[in-house]
Amino acid sequence: MNKQRKHALMIDSSRCIGCHSCGVACKMEHELPAGPRPVKVIQIGPLDPNGSLVMRFETVTCFHCDRPACVSACPTGAMQKRPDGLVFSEPSLCIGCQTCAVACPFGIPELNPAAGKIAKCDGCRDRVDRGLWPACALKCPTGCLSYGSPSRVVQDLRTREALTVVRSVAVR
Amino acid sequence: MVDYKPLNRFPGTRKEFDRQVESVCQECTVGCGLTVFLQDEAIADVQGIEHHLVSRGRLCSRGIAFAQGLRHPRRITIPASRNTLTQAFEASVSWEKALDLFAERLRRVRDREGAASLVIGCDPEAGLDFYVGARRFARLWGTPHVYHPWETPKATQDLPLKTPTAPCTQWVKSSCLLLVEADLAATHPVAFGWVLDAQTDGAKVIVVDTRFNVTMSKADLSLVIRPGAGNLFGLYLMKAILEENLQHAEALAANLELTPDWQTAYDALSWEALEPATGISREALINVVRFLAGKSSATIITGKRLEHSHSHGIWLTLCTAMGWTAKSDSGWYPLETGIPGFNCDSDIELPAADSIPPRAGFFPYQPFDTRGRKLAFKALIASGNCLADFFLPLRSQLRDAELVAFFGAFPNITCEQSHVVFPAAAWAERDGLFCSNDRALQWADRIATPADACRSGLDFWSGLAQRFGWQEYFPWFKKNGRADPVAFYEWLLRRSPDTHGCDLSRIRATDELLFWPADTEKLVRQQPPIFVSNNGKLRPTQPPAEITPMETSASEDMYPLAYQSTRVVSRSTDAAKWWPWTAELEDEKAVQIHPDTAQILGIENGDEVVVAGSRTCIEGRAWLSRMVDRRMIWSPQRLDETRVRVHKKGQTGEDALNLLKADSA
Repeated sequence: MNKQRKHALMIDSSRCIGCHSCGVACKMEHELPAGPRPVKVIQIGPLDPNGSLVMRFETVTCFHCDRPACVSACPTGAMQKRPDGLVFSEPSLCIGCQTCAVACPFGIPELNPAAGKIAKCDGCRDRVDRGLWPACALKCPTGCLSYGSPSRVVQDLRTREALTVVRSVAVR
Repeated sequence: MVDYKPLNRFPGTRKEFDRQVESVCQECTVGCGLTVFLQDEAIADVQGIEHHLVSRGRLCSRGIAFAQGLRHPRRITIPASRNTLTQAFEASVSWEKALDLFAERLRRVRDREGAASLVIGCDPEAGLDFYVGARRFARLWGTPHVYHPWETPKATQDLPLKTPTAPCTQWVKSSCLLLVEADLAATHPVAFGWVLDAQTDGAKVIVVDTRFNVTMSKADLSLVIRPGAGNLFGLYLMKAILEENLQHAEALAANLELTPDWQTAYDALSWEALEPATGISREALINVVRFLAGKSSATIITGKRLEHSHSHGIWLTLCTAMGWTAKSDSGWYPLETGIPGFNCDSDIELPAADSIPPRAGFFPYQPFDTRGRKLAFKALIASGNCLADFFLPLRSQLRDAELVAFFGAFPNITCEQSHVVFPAAAWAERDGLFCSNDRALQWADRIATPADACRSGLDFWSGLAQRFGWQEYFPWFKKNGRADPVAFYEWLLRRSPDTHGCDLSRIRATDELLFWPADTEKLVRQQPPIFVSNNGKLRPTQPPAEITPMETSASEDMYPLAYQSTRVVSRSTDAAKWWPWTAELEDEKAVQIHPDTAQILGIENGDEVVVAGSRTCIEGRAWLSRMVDRRMIWSPQRLDETRVRVHKKGQTGEDALNLLKADSA
């Protein structure tokens, strides 16, 4: 995969079962201890909106913002944005001051207490640079997470939704 | 026609490694393919095998996090012993010395209390070899008391064998999937991916369970039933299908041995008893029938719990009556029935079989003998954390036990109650045969070298048997004090008519999945299974003469809430509770209470609560959720009770009871 080319992580929440596989895969990939969770899964519900229960799970990770507040706030220049859009914290520059955590409107950066440095999703930049999928998407057991160029990912989502509609009306 | 091509996956590792091992994950019974990368014998990365037919490169949290358990700082890696439970453990000089000591103490207990005073608990975590070794040792010893959650009544074992079920990869071809008390999303996440694929492909997913769980949240149609009513729901489904004449007439006539009173028995089943017994209305049940009716292919997936209650065979009867059996895209898929029925000890003649007192029943463990007398064991050999799991009823009986041995990996509750500790090798540290839910046989290569003195279950039993002069019955024992797993599994495959013709070298050499009983030379069974008549047709399961509503017990008044404990997604075995990555994901102390019930009792989210039954209780933190209904409590913690009351710490059970009664009034 080209370093300059942008990629997108597609999250199809309708397929998320809250198994936390993505979160554990991320921790193994980045050798993180218990505590910081760059990928989280949040359970919503069950709610009872119309007399029937509804429950879903949302996978939450860094949005890799176009204008990331964490990058602007970082006093040492550790938090950076790559040309391909990935926002990451360079461990050799990070002093663990957590200014980025305060600046981020989504509360994404967390302190890795073992290293004294910030842990956040870096889009698996080292894997992506080698042409590999990010660990979370690769190991997701239900296909909730997938990865590719933005146009291909959107095309995939559209096609899947269209097929779901067609198949739901077809007689099996 | 839309030509859909999924996104290309780009697998691999970026970590440095000096060797890699392909094996099979054994955290659950799906059997996902693993590639493990090691650097200096430490696991550097774990990836799924992309070309694996079932897992397709995917893994769940347990299948990734197992690596944390192998070099965990609290792992038990050396044998230890103590004379009494109040003393501290002393490390043994060696495994051999520890076995010598244990064998001597065990011999003394037998001399004083008799052979049947020994009970053995086999946790799945200890492996198939531990269970088989335990069965052989117990047979030689003369005790019938070997328990394992995989054990099923003989009749239940035979049921699914008569109709080979399509593997989970075929669910995508089904028109409808009915899951009954099978929370696949929590217990087998990778297999649940196939359910979602089927749903995307247009299949309807119906989930029937005792609480609104994750699997149910993905269903097209869902029903919450009372605990223990799963098979009864199946009987009523059959009744509704027969009343509406929706059965597959040709399949019915060809495959079921119909007796004149067969349909009459269903006619006699009272519709009035449906709602009190199952908690669902007739309209809701008919709605399920509408989904199922006319489907040429459907798969019914049932949970392990159903196996231990009455009329379990209804699911096979139902599938047969609807023409869904013996097809590649449908049928009955009972969970956790992937282990062939091995004759582990039929070659052992002494002591005579009739000199060993029979057990009162199959799993789950019942603390009574066949005459209803309470059992009193003096020695226990326990693996995993069975005293906090299926051996919970045994804990109170162990006060008089003279000797408890623990074969496990972490200092859990079972370890705390033991006199002798033997460190167990994890599944990733031993070679072995893996039997999946799909009845696929896969060879799982050892991933890492066992830590310090950790050994396999086969090593343990072979070593112990040697000390009693029974080495000829454990011929896989080698001079170095270890057992040969390849020779053992070659022998084991010959010990079942379903795997007799299987060639272990072929299983070890191939990437393909080999299923049993296909590709085997089936032996003629000595006795016909009781559910199959002599003409080969299935004897249909009939409903009982009378349905007893569940809310009739005397304890209902004192303990008005039903209690249920099931597995959570991040933990399958006791070991998973010790891995930091999975330990932080879900609160093991959580106690789910319906918000309305909690309001009556004055309980708020996060409150410390006590869940008490008539004999035992647990403590936990309140999690107010509509996943449970108003009259149910759920927690991952095991409790040897089915009826409970719950109250906030500082209050009493009577207070809670009065509040609930006042509200009902």
